[in-house]
Amino acid sequence: MLEKSTESHEKFWEIFSKQDRKKIDEFKKYMDKFAINFNLYKDGNFIERSLPFDVVPRIISKEDFSKIEKGLVQRVTALNMFLEDLYTDEKIINDGVVPREFVLQAKGYLEKFKGFSPSQKIRTHINGIDLVKDSANDEWVILEDNLRVPSGSSYPLSIRDTYRKIYPDFFESMKIKPIKQYPKYIADAMNYVNCGGINIVLSPGRFNAAYYEHSYLADKIGAELVRAHELKVVDKKLYFKNYDGRLIKVGAVYRRLDDDFLDPSFFNPDSLIGVPGLVEAYLSGNVAIMNGIGNGVADDKGIYYFVPKMIKYYLGEEPILQNAPTYLPYFKEDMDYIFNNMEKLVIKDVAEAGGYGVLFGHAMTATKIADLKLIIKADPRRFIAQELVEFYDEKCYIDGKLQDRKADFRAYVVMGKDVKVWECGLTRYALEAGNYLVNSSQGGGFKDTWIME
Amino acid sequence: MEQLLTANVATNLYWLGRYLERIGSTFILVMKAYDSVIDIDKDEGVALYKKFGIDLKYTNSQSFLNNAILGEHSANIYNLTLMARENAIICRSHIDTEAFGEIMDLNAILERASKNKIDITHQCIDSSDSIIREIWGTLSRRKNRQSSDYFFRLGKVVEELDFHLRFDSDKELVKVVVKNIDSIIKKLLCKNEADVEAYQSLNAEKEDIMAEIDKRIGQIIVG
Repeated sequence: MLEKSTESHEKFWEIFSKQDRKKIDEFKKYMDKFAINFNLYKDGNFIERSLPFDVVPRIISKEDFSKIEKGLVQRVTALNMFLEDLYTDEKIINDGVVPREFVLQAKGYLEKFKGFSPSQKIRTHINGIDLVKDSANDEWVILEDNLRVPSGSSYPLSIRDTYRKIYPDFFESMKIKPIKQYPKYIADAMNYVNCGGINIVLSPGRFNAAYYEHSYLADKIGAELVRAHELKVVDKKLYFKNYDGRLIKVGAVYRRLDDDFLDPSFFNPDSLIGVPGLVEAYLSGNVAIMNGIGNGVADDKGIYYFVPKMIKYYLGEEPILQNAPTYLPYFKEDMDYIFNNMEKLVIKDVAEAGGYGVLFGHAMTATKIADLKLIIKADPRRFIAQELVEFYDEKCYIDGKLQDRKADFRAYVVMGKDVKVWECGLTRYALEAGNYLVNSSQGGGFKDTWIME
Repeated sequence: MEQLLTANVATNLYWLGRYLERIGSTFILVMKAYDSVIDIDKDEGVALYKKFGIDLKYTNSQSFLNNAILGEHSANIYNLTLMARENAIICRSHIDTEAFGEIMDLNAILERASKNKIDITHQCIDSSDSIIREIWGTLSRRKNRQSSDYFFRLGKVVEELDFHLRFDSDKELVKVVVKNIDSIIKKLLCKNEADVEAYQSLNAEKEDIMAEIDKRIGQIIVG
């Protein structure tokens, strides 16, 4: 089902009908020429591939974006307050809003960081919040909060430049918000928390799926792109090793690797992509790390259930954007509901990401459902269940024809002195009709997102 | 010229310069030999590749081009473009965007030829050569040169020197290239001239000149 067409949609189709369709090929050529890749490992082989791109943009009205913007500023503010509280005073737990046991069982909760407050008390610097627009009530719904290392912003940033050059008519005739300010949002956020020194982007290296993005963003935000062995910790301070042997102090790290790999002397000792001593430098207040260490607890799919409660608890406000209806088998009442309605629910493993560990009840056999019930019963904290949100399709121009595909929207929210919602985002669509999984790691493609002025 | 660079990026920029220059210089020599192989001296290609330490075999001018550019030997140009591509990806935030795109294009042209076993034509070499010229052009057009530009250029001139020494070029020409290397090293080291120019004696053996230059580069990239 498609969203109701707006004036902007009509305008788009009017201009689109007059454009030379052959020029669509230029997008792929551009992405190949500039190696705009999202890499994959398949059967042990490293495969460089460009993300499939669809020329039909997602168009978001000014009114819709205004609500999304307010809702996301509210949500990320509350999530940041939750993390700060959780690792310091634990008021929300002591007041019984979030069960202590439930939090402590979250894989992303790192007890060793209890009592530590990072620079400017900011932990959720760069966030990717996944939304869909529910066709049942025409409202945007939050599906997931990504508060660790959300990726994807470089793709729309890169493609927009090309889009404007290939099809300038749209940008001349439609009032589309410009998007180039995003790297500045990140740079400002980095500078705000910087503990004295240069800004860097820490990448696992050339063979990471999102290496293109690491390199692109480092360039655009004016930070040095480095790998772990190009850094050194001396006296609890982090240094960048310059080619001439000089050590330059680092004040803020935009890390593109998970907590587990960040520091082999603190986390996984086998990590070859981490910096020994980095956590100590962080805990000594000598360097800011964005996003904060230990954020995994807040983007745990189980904790997601509690975000509307956090908004009310910390801000005294009603949530502007709603969660998808979610049930926790951890609670007896919810477990009963889930077991009685498995066929119509989506079951998610809280420890998985990237579209993995998502099971659709309607697509499962009776035996599989029975097996799943046993697994859930044995470890209820590991799962959540959600009502299947029938979100809108988006028109896609695939194989020379317009076809409908499921699409979500990842909004990027940057927290520095202020909280900014980028006036673009990553619209991801499923390559096959009827598929609800749109993740890039599941082979999904992307579209440009036009926010109307 | 104050610009921070990791040793890895500096090294990759240097090698990017070397590989691109090696590819460009090889194209020129191959085209010259090709002209001769057609109807003047069939063995010209053999003699050329002997200088690279390669025993090149071919039956006619077309197979000379194919084997020279894509043969199974250390001077295979497709492999060189692959290495240049890797260098470029690693240091992409320090090179011109257009130049980066041209390097990807250069690799794509030779990848198509290599994977589809397409005959190498003089047009293919011409267009690849034009791409390389365009890459150097983008570098020369930069107004405010930074360390990254100098590492890239250093690779180019060191490779030039290697070719001159390998092909016994005129001593004066070698002197000019060495002077050029000197001036780049000076800019990168920001040290006094006497220290840098210590190895300028061109009476040394070819290998000693290259070894001395490698030593100097080792002094610049210490990280």
